[in-house]
Parts: sequence; structure tokens; C-alpha cells
Amino acid sequence: MTSLDNLLKKLIRNSAGHLRYTVAIMGLSIAVFLLLTAVQIQVNYNELLHGRNNRDSIANFLVINKQLTDASLGKTALEDSVIQNIRSQPFIESVGMLTPGRFRASIQSKSDRFPFYTDISFEAIPESFIDVNGINWTWNESASYVPVIIPNMFLDMYNFQFSLSQNLPQLTPDVVKMLLFTITVYGPKGTAAFNGKIVGFSDRISSMLVPTEFMDWGNRHFATEQIKNPSRLIIRTRDPGNPALTDYLRKHRLTTDTEKTRFSKYRQIVDTVVAISGISGALMLLFALLIFTLFIQLTIASCKEEINLLITLGASPDQLSRFLMNRFFPPNAWMITISFITLMILQFFLSRYLEHQQMVISGIISVYTLGVAVLLGILIWCVNRKTIRNYIYPGS
Amino acid sequence: MLTLNNLMPEPLRERLSGKTSSIWKSTVQFEPGEWINVTAPSGTGKTTFIHILYGLRKDYSGTALLNQTDLRSLDPDALAVIRQQKISIIFQDLKLFPHLTVIENIELKRILHEPSCGAEQVTAMAEQLGIAGILNQPAAICSYGEQQRAAIIRALVQPFEWLIMDEPFSHLDNNNTMKAAALIAEECKRRRAGFIITDLDENNLFPYNRKLHL
Repeated sequence: MTSLDNLLKKLIRNSAGHLRYTVAIMGLSIAVFLLLTAVQIQVNYNELLHGRNNRDSIANFLVINKQLTDASLGKTALEDSVIQNIRSQPFIESVGMLTPGRFRASIQSKSDRFPFYTDISFEAIPESFIDVNGINWTWNESASYVPVIIPNMFLDMYNFQFSLSQNLPQLTPDVVKMLLFTITVYGPKGTAAFNGKIVGFSDRISSMLVPTEFMDWGNRHFATEQIKNPSRLIIRTRDPGNPALTDYLRKHRLTTDTEKTRFSKYRQIVDTVVAISGISGALMLLFALLIFTLFIQLTIASCKEEINLLITLGASPDQLSRFLMNRFFPPNAWMITISFITLMILQFFLSRYLEHQQMVISGIISVYTLGVAVLLGILIWCVNRKTIRNYIYPGS
Repeated sequence: MLTLNNLMPEPLRERLSGKTSSIWKSTVQFEPGEWINVTAPSGTGKTTFIHILYGLRKDYSGTALLNQTDLRSLDPDALAVIRQQKISIIFQDLKLFPHLTVIENIELKRILHEPSCGAEQVTAMAEQLGIAGILNQPAAICSYGEQQRAAIIRALVQPFEWLIMDEPFSHLDNNNTMKAAALIAEECKRRRAGFIITDLDENNLFPYNRKLHL
């Protein structure tokens, strides 16, 4: 039995040409893919910048302290009012205190092959500000060792200056992580010794870091000084190049490391890629929609007589519009789905690749990208429907 | 019920002025189930009258009401509902799709809405009118007589309250005219539907309730 759709297919043929149709569909596919890519890149970038999992990300962390001048010597502690004021600034997302050790400490190697001894001081910061992934950053009195994070530049200084001048072996990060040393803490009531182990290297903070629990315990039992305000803070900001931030720091006689501006280069690159991808995607979408609209118009125009006779015989314009929508929209829906799936696959492999670079992004495509795909689907549906109805209703 | 009030097609206004008519510039009411014969010589607006009743023309003064609804006020989708369920038509110029087969032309109308008869009834009608052998031929290569019989069957496969026919037997010989008229009468009775048939001359093909002169 012949269905109505089959009969209508016989009457309303694709006489506008398959080449034109293929070009229109391909154009739309590329446009949709570019637009979705732009959204996903932006989401990935934001995740890298602001995600809590990205310890070694390109997020913008700045360590700030008072400018050291003759006048401020010995008065570098940051007052509560200053800290509160910093916290309330709109361009600052979060503030972490660098808790200084108020006790004396030394570290000594346990290895005869690699002997060393030095006095040392530690600092602690909240875990969310640390840029080392995958470590157990905690301590208690029954722990077998104290985890320590050292600045990356310490290792560089050793490997490329000190070891060469002292005829000592160079050390890889993995070897350093295997070294076990003794941390001795000195206080008025005596000393305490712990095993210590380097668990990671930080690009962000130029101090020897220990877990807050260890620092609190040490300050409680071995402090030689009264509790005092921290001299340094670590802040997380959306944009370190923000003039408001630099103005604020200058006005309050605070300084930070200017090297951080290198991250803004990543931002420029990402912004450029997103802009190019987004703008070209939007333009292509516009042209492709135009071609597709013309294609629909041509198809309807070339079957105008058949459509008029169908309406004369009793087919409702609404019935014919639905038939034409069912004919034109599904390829568009498929095209959006395929673009989306392609992007999903790319996102998965990108996340795997970035994982090796110590950067964490989700392997699953973002809900925003899904939202944009749905919106594009709705937009194309509306354009198709409007074009069809404009040309199918009598008198149009 | 079909009610016509002071109908006058604009293009025929001058030509029809001063002439007497049972329909133009008159008030006429067709009751449900009435069988009406409208006769008129060529050029006096038979096809225009049929097109007004079918909602194809709006260039007239007066009103044409179907069950109190002004046909001119209906939007295209509402008009389609009327054409699918209330009024069926046999056009003088047949209006078949030339590259569809005869059966496809009929099927198209049958399944446009909930079918009121089965496919086997279509075959039975085709046999009754002697076109069963050409059902799978494209309409374009059928004779006018065959096309006219296909158009008659097409008009009978949908639900309707009124069947309007514009010189429906113009290409048929007497024998085929009698068969077609019998089929039309049978289908109208089955539905308790009325019909309006226009022709050049009076005829006694049906037991008409009324004969009017346009």
C-alpha cells in the first residue's frame, strides 16, 4: 500500500539539484562544527584557568607581599584590615595565607652517597593553592614521613649550578622524590625528628611547603615567637593583567612576581583561536543557512504547480509543511549530531593528551556545548519552518 | 446546509447584469442530502459557481455559507479540513497529476485524511466504471474518458456531506455516464450526502430534489 509520504515524495521532488543540496549540508556541518569547537575550547580554557583540579594549570595565582623598603623593614606582616580589603576586591577570586613556621628546623640527608645538611624554614598554604597533582597532601603524628614540596627552581639551581661546581651528580625529579631525609624541629622544650620526603615541585610558590597540619603542630609545640600575621598571601585572580589589580597593588605598596604575565600569552592564543573559530563558524552558518534556505525555496518553487493542486484537492498547508520539514530537517539534525559526536571524540583524546602535560580537562563534552548544539538545532528548525511556511501557504 | 446570499462574481458582474438567475443575486438554501441540478449555457459562470462553493474563489460579493460558516473567512488549513471531510469535487478540467498513475491519483485523495473506504472498494469502483485495467498507468497517457472516470472515483473515496460536480460526464458516452451516475448515486446515498451538479442541459440521470437555472 502506498503511503501519503511516498506519494508526496513522488510529487515534490528534489529538483533543485543534489550538488546544491550536498554543498548546503556540508557548509552547515562545518559551520556547526566550528561553532561547537569554539564553545568547547572556551569551556576547556576556563576549566584550565579556574578548575580546582588543575594544580599545574595556567590559572593565575600571584603571591603578594609588602614592598620591602627602608621604611617597611621589619614591618612586613599584613594587617587583618589589609587582608580583608584584598579579599573584598572584585578581581580577586580567593585568598590563601602563607603560614610561616615560627620554629627553627633543619634537614639532613640519610644517604651516605648524597650527604647534605641545612637549616631550613617552612611555609604552608591551603591545599587548593598547590600546583602539584596526585599527592596525599596531609600529615598526622603517626604518619611515616612529612611530605614536602620544593620550588622547581631549587632543583634547577642544584642541577645546573651547584652540582657542576661541586662535582656532584645531577638529580632527576624522580630520584629526588626517592630521597629520604631527616627533618629536625627545634623548640624551647627540645627537638623532634621526622622523616621527610619531597613529593613534588612547584612553579607557583618559592618556598619549602609542608602540609598545614604539620605546620600547625610545629607552631603549637615548638614556636619561639608569638602568633603573627602572615607576610605573604597567595591570591587567585581571573586576570593578572587587569589594570585594576596592578593599580590596587601599587596603591597599597604591595608587590608580586611579574613573571606571571607569561600566562596572558596563553590567554591571547586561546582567545584568538576561539575568536577565529567562532567568527568563521558564525559566518559560515549564516551563508550555509542562506544556501539551504535558497535550496528549500527552489525545491518548493519548482513544485509550485503540484503543491497548488495538492492544496486545491484538500491537502492542508500545515500537512505539506510537516512533510517538507520531515524531509529537510532530519539531515540537519543528523549533521548536528555527527558534528557533536566528532567533537566528543576529539575532546576525549584531547583530555588524554593534556593529562600527560599535567593539565586536567574533562573527557566529556561540556553541557554548554550541548546547549549550543541544541540551540543551533532549534535555530535551523525555525529557519527551515519559516522558509517552508512562507512559500507553502497560498498567497505567499 | 449550504446558504448562498446575493452571490455575484466580480468578473461576471457586467455580463450577468439584467439577466435572471436562481442563484446569482438570490438567496438560496440547499438542505443536507438534497440532490440539485444546476443548468446554464456556456459562459454564465458554472465553473465560477462551483469554485465559489469549493472555496477556490473569493472575488465575489454576497456570502456562501456552509453550516453557517462563511467559506471566504476560512484560513487555508480550515478550508483543507472542509475539503477533506465535508465537500468533495469533480472538476471540469479533472485536475489529475499526470505523472502519477491512476491508482496513485485516487489513493492520494483517499489517504489524505482518515480513509472512508478501503482499497478494495476502490478496485470495485474501478471495475464498475471499467478502468480496472488502467489503474497502474500514468494518468497522462489515459484517454479523457478514462481520466474523467478516475476523477469521479477520486471524488468518491473521501468522506463528504456535499459532492459538487462541474460537468462530470462531459467526456463519457451514454453507457459510461449511466454507470458513473449510478456509482455517484450509490455513494451519496451511503453517506446521506447531497450533491450539486452543473451541466449545459437538463438531464434525468438522478432523481433530483431541485433543478435550478444559473
